Amino acid sequence: MMNEWLTRLKFLARFLFSRRQHEILDEELQFHLEQSTAAHMALGMTATEARRQALIEFGGVERTREQCHEQRPGWWLGTLAQDVRYALRGFKRSPVFTLAVIATLALGIGATTAVFSVVDRILFRPLPYAHDDRLVSFGLVQSLERQEFTLGGFFYEWRDNQKPFESVTFEQGVSECNLTEANPVHLHCAQVAQNFLSTLGISPILGRNFLPEEDLPNGPKVALLTDGLWLSRYNRDPGVLNTSINLDGHLFRVVGVLPKDFEMPRLQATDVVTPAAMDVAAQHTVNSGIGYPMWAFARLKPGISVAQAQQQMEPLYLHTQQWIPAQFRSEFHLQVRSIRDRQMQEAYRAAWVLLGAVFAVLLIACANVASLFSARGAARERELAVRSALGATRGRLIRQTLTEALLLAVAGAGAGFAVAEILLRTFIAIAPTGIPLMAQARLDLRIGWFTLLLTLVCAALFGILPALQKPRPTALAARSARSGGSALVRRILVGAQIAITVVLLSGASLLVRSFWNLEQQSLGMQTQNVLTVHIPLTWARYNNGQAFLDFHLRAEAALRRLPGVTAVAMSDSIPPDSNSWHGGVRYPDLFVVGRPRPAAGVGGTVIVRAVTPSYFHILRIPILQGQGFAEEDRRSGANSMILSKLLASRLFPEGDAIGQHIQIATYMPYFALKGPVFTVVGIAGNVKNGGLAGQDDPEYYTLRHSGPEDWSNHTVMLVETALPASVVAPWIRGQIAQLDATAPVEIETLTKSVGKLADRPRFETALVGFFAFCGLLMALIGLYGVIAYIAAQRTQEIGVRMALGATRWNILRLIAGQGLRLIVFGGLAGLGAALASAQLLKGLLFNVQPRDPATYLAVVLVLGLVALAATLLPARAATQVQPVEALRYE
Amino acid sequence: MLLSNIEGSVMPPSTDLLQGTLDLLILQTLALGPMHGWGVAQRIQQISKEVLQVGQGSLYPALHRLEYKGWIEADWGNSDNNRRAKFYSLTATGRKQLETELETWERFSSAIALVLGRVPEAQA
Repeated sequence: MMNEWLTRLKFLARFLFSRRQHEILDEELQFHLEQSTAAHMALGMTATEARRQALIEFGGVERTREQCHEQRPGWWLGTLAQDVRYALRGFKRSPVFTLAVIATLALGIGATTAVFSVVDRILFRPLPYAHDDRLVSFGLVQSLERQEFTLGGFFYEWRDNQKPFESVTFEQGVSECNLTEANPVHLHCAQVAQNFLSTLGISPILGRNFLPEEDLPNGPKVALLTDGLWLSRYNRDPGVLNTSINLDGHLFRVVGVLPKDFEMPRLQATDVVTPAAMDVAAQHTVNSGIGYPMWAFARLKPGISVAQAQQQMEPLYLHTQQWIPAQFRSEFHLQVRSIRDRQMQEAYRAAWVLLGAVFAVLLIACANVASLFSARGAARERELAVRSALGATRGRLIRQTLTEALLLAVAGAGAGFAVAEILLRTFIAIAPTGIPLMAQARLDLRIGWFTLLLTLVCAALFGILPALQKPRPTALAARSARSGGSALVRRILVGAQIAITVVLLSGASLLVRSFWNLEQQSLGMQTQNVLTVHIPLTWARYNNGQAFLDFHLRAEAALRRLPGVTAVAMSDSIPPDSNSWHGGVRYPDLFVVGRPRPAAGVGGTVIVRAVTPSYFHILRIPILQGQGFAEEDRRSGANSMILSKLLASRLFPEGDAIGQHIQIATYMPYFALKGPVFTVVGIAGNVKNGGLAGQDDPEYYTLRHSGPEDWSNHTVMLVETALPASVVAPWIRGQIAQLDATAPVEIETLTKSVGKLADRPRFETALVGFFAFCGLLMALIGLYGVIAYIAAQRTQEIGVRMALGATRWNILRLIAGQGLRLIVFGGLAGLGAALASAQLLKGLLFNVQPRDPATYLAVVLVLGLVALAATLLPARAATQVQPVEALRYE
Repeated sequence: MLLSNIEGSVMPPSTDLLQGTLDLLILQTLALGPMHGWGVAQRIQQISKEVLQVGQGSLYPALHRLEYKGWIEADWGNSDNNRRAKFYSLTATGRKQLETELETWERFSSAIALVLGRVPEAQA
């Protein structure tokens, strides 16, 4: 066996490296013929007659020679080279076809690969946890908080009595912390349970996990570093193990480093992980007896599904319901879902829309390549018939077509992967920070190959069809080759492309309109010339309200003194944010003094902001009635309140708001009416406060007094200045550094921070818009190609018609009419599909109906016009034909 | 492809070669000793008493194929009339192959004989 292989190899090598093969064979055959001739001459024939007889007996010498070659292993390599040469010559002869196919492939492969690379990370990537499909997140949900959370009081009860989980753990959220050493940095520290890493199936790449005794109250302070911090701060020095780092003034011993792909299950940015060191016994006393908030995760036991887990946890939840104040009990539910679902909730819809767009582009690319190849195949029917008549086998013809498809695919794939790389980089550059894991997206070549294969199959299928049909003898005779069947297929393909393009275009136009609405809407405030200054002070350094008050009053005074700064205000949050740290109050908890109590359970949320008087001036929020806060009230301690117009009109429909007194109910944890009584001094204009696309809620403002109870680290400074941010920012930093050199300062223009909120819709719009553009381009290429082919094939016919007196207008109508029919049928089909699938976009649209008539009209008009142009160009070329030339055609 | 009776008009009527039997014939012929292509053709014709007509054109592809399979090998030598010629000879693998092919052939031909022998009985 071995021997046999060796011999084969030897022959292959001889074949590949020797050029003498031909000569040797010739010599051998020559010898045979000479012997044969001699034998015949011995029978008495003349030399000529003997040679003639020898040749007759031998049969075709050339055929024998060829057959001998074909015995050689790897002989087809030679014909492959021939096929390639032939294909390249063909491409040179029809550059439009070649370029159209390569462009289609490049666009198709590029776009699909780039987007799949992004979407794959969101939808299908494996989470960096062992057996991530067994991991769930569970906890309470209610109308104000739809992301499940839990509280210490519930968690330990659940943990000790649950059945469906192998192990249960929690994290206590990520808080801001400062590395207070030389070169202070602002970090994010996560507090987790001791079994957090083991439950998720993560092991440190260096050092070890926390020990149980380190997770006890007042236990040794230890920390795990993430790879990011380890790299940026310690240059991945393993010596960092067992050293101490100073976090907010406390020394923590580094016991390990987390793997590079570590991430919190809720995807918060994290630099340091420390044990939560939870006091279990205290969970029924602290925080009004319900315990500290936390987020619970668990690993399912084998064979238990998420739904089963939810079922099994339900009785436990009902048992623990007793700790929820009675009037809210019905609002709470237990929720168990996979970590993946929790992570991807909002990204899901966008990802699916993108995937749909990718799929549409893929279809168009495929249809395009198929119709181009089919058109070429039809045009070459005659050529194939000639080659077949000259002795080419059908296999050879098919191989020729496949070679061409392969060559184009290689060129298209090369260009496509380059396009994909560029696109992906662009995506990452313009992607909003909110899209999880965007920055880590890498080119995923699997989909590239998949696209390539798919288009190749399309091309080969439609290219081979004409080669498969036994070349008709008539094709040889026909002056212009036309095959009716494949022409119909081609038209259907082009019609389908137009239809898909309509779907893509209308989706994109809806998103563009929605984005436009989002950008153009009135925020109720102005964002020009305002800087936001956020100084994340830590509780470790500033341990009471007085400390925060002192710092911020001094900072306010310092910033006011800066040249070019015209006003400084402070708030706890800035619209259009809904005030993410203060959940607001319920509408029924606003009690107007001297009026009956409103019905509980109706009215939704009211946003609350605590601001200093200049807030309204800087943001240009108009005081519509009454007056704003006064500077002197900050010291007097008067409890004044300003209502938004929306809130005022709901609380006081008669318009008698000014001067009324309002008290806010508190729950600690039970209903109480002990807070200060506020006096309504003014009514302010409505400001967007539910995010850019959210619904506006009523809002009220309270005055931030110069007393410690009104101050915490939740403070944002607003600085009004006409100078550019780049000039003022260093001055602000300098002033803050004089107050506290360890305090990090984050400065941003308000325009930019508001603009960030539109990042996500901008991203989605850009992507889908890009796809629509790709689709349109390809559909146009397809349409143009088909009409051009039709025109070229009918050149002779056109000549005859013109010779018989047809006008150029007649010809134009003849050729363009076919294109028009395609546009109309494709457009109508696409319109139907677009209207049917429009509901999918609903969640992504702002102030636009998914079936907005104007949008669809615009799409139809644009597509119709552009497609018409793509038809008229080649059709017009057909009318330029000189009858005499046309009759001589081919 | 290996069947040939193109020259039927010149030569006496001959039997078509069964597909695959040409290989067997070549191997059997070369088992007698190294021989060039012309010699193989002559030999087959002589031994089969002119009944088996080997298309000379199809002989060479078969020789080449067997060579690539490693069953025979070629060497340059001098012919009877002192002409340089390519001589083929059986390799060890070829010899083994010849044995298996002979066995197969015997089984096959006896099976045919069996079938043919029973035809008249069935008709009777």
